Amino acid sequence: MFMARSEYDRGINTFSPEGRLFQVEYSLEAIKLGSTAIGVATSSGVILGVEKRVTSTLIETSSVEKIVEIDRHIGCAMSGLQADARSMVEHARVECQSHAFNFNEKLRVESCTQAICDLALRFGESADGEERIMSRPFGVALLIAGVDEDGPQLYHAEPSGTFYRYDAKAIGSGSEGAQAELQNEYHKSLTIEDAETLVLKTLKQVMEEKLDSKNVQLASVTKERGFRIYTDEEMAEVVARLPAN
Amino acid sequence: MSALFSQNPLMNGPNYSFSDTPVSHPNEAHGELREHRFNPYTDNGGSTLAIAGADFAIVAGDTRLTSGYSIHTRYSPKVFKIGGTTADQKDATIVLSVVGFAADGTALRERLDAACKMYRYRHGKPMSVNAAAKRLSTMLYQKRFFPYYVYAILAGLDEEGKGAVYSYDPVGSYEREMCRAGGAAASLIMPFLDNQVNFKNQHIPGSGEGHAIQEREKKPLLREQVEILVKDAFDGAVERHIEVGDGLQMMVITSQGVEEHYLPLKKD
Repeated sequence: MFMARSEYDRGINTFSPEGRLFQVEYSLEAIKLGSTAIGVATSSGVILGVEKRVTSTLIETSSVEKIVEIDRHIGCAMSGLQADARSMVEHARVECQSHAFNFNEKLRVESCTQAICDLALRFGESADGEERIMSRPFGVALLIAGVDEDGPQLYHAEPSGTFYRYDAKAIGSGSEGAQAELQNEYHKSLTIEDAETLVLKTLKQVMEEKLDSKNVQLASVTKERGFRIYTDEEMAEVVARLPAN
Repeated sequence: MSALFSQNPLMNGPNYSFSDTPVSHPNEAHGELREHRFNPYTDNGGSTLAIAGADFAIVAGDTRLTSGYSIHTRYSPKVFKIGGTTADQKDATIVLSVVGFAADGTALRERLDAACKMYRYRHGKPMSVNAAAKRLSTMLYQKRFFPYYVYAILAGLDEEGKGAVYSYDPVGSYEREMCRAGGAAASLIMPFLDNQVNFKNQHIPGSGEGHAIQEREKKPLLREQVEILVKDAFDGAVERHIEVGDGLQMMVITSQGVEEHYLPLKKD
């Protein structure tokens, strides 16, 4: 009757006869076009790393913002449509502040991730009581890193609204190769410094450009210092530590 | 309104929730102005008190419910367990006491309990007393311009296992304290607690004159001592305040859970 993906991928909220939501599946493809982002969780903190695609020598690299703060104890890295991430991050920030206001404590990392994923399926026609905010699914995936009373944690949130906790996760165009590398290299006793090197080493392998301290960015979330984006000096220091080849 | 906040009931009527202004007015027939009033509050009397210890907290309240000179019931609890997972609250770790307008107290208790439940579903852990204390404050302030007419006290054990008592005014100002009395006999009980719990006006004998006088060293009381203080405080309040009496309900919060005790008070 119908070609497999010919009709049912038009309606945003329409299941195909095989039970699939094509628009949601396509949104997952959008992420595979994005730049690579990697997160590694250790017992003392989480490291996030992203590649900044510097498409022109005239780009001011500091204006490429792919790691952002959500609250003092939570940060996130993104891959996919940057603009879509803005409304998700904004929502997460409000949620964190509202929790602190109402309960005088930090929002847990899992609760924050859940709050972000609650937004994911608010597209298409609005359901009763739920405000419709998007005409299509989000085209961005997030790596959410944070520290709470259960220690450092890393979550991966997708446009489908599902999320999982990871020890180490890669998203974006180089994710397949990077994930395989993480699988081999990750172990529970990694230190923060080990994690910094692992993230950069993995990024280096999957990046098309030659990695330097300008086209990658690192951030950490630790119990002691909370969320922090690395300064240019710190970046240079970590890059210098990488084995040369 | 002044009668609302006074210690004693009005002398001239039964203190109904709704206006007792006459239905018809002598001047009404002549087309003159008539005053309408809305009196949504009643003072249902009663008193509560809470004391924090080193590793426990005790919250107590009498069980009389009055309106004016009438006693509506001799058993209407003012102290509630909050945030348990079952209907009987047997695993609750937080206790709320409310005194003032009983209907507002019930509404507030149900709201806070629902908030605790939602918190557990959303965050997968029970609410700490600190979190519940802040939540109760925002809940009260949300009704800043039509307040819950209640003086609330919240108690439990903090993250370090120490007794914690938080006291509130009707619009949500709150403070963590060692002890607090609320309700009709608060002004009778509070000075007694200041002296017996915080050792106010207690000095070391022979420590000197004037500025040289040394205060008695503060230390948390033992559970047995606190239980005696609570009973004495209420026995005293019952003698001197007509809205306090009938029964004493006492909740003792320890690391083992919440124990509930009931003792009779004078019914006169």
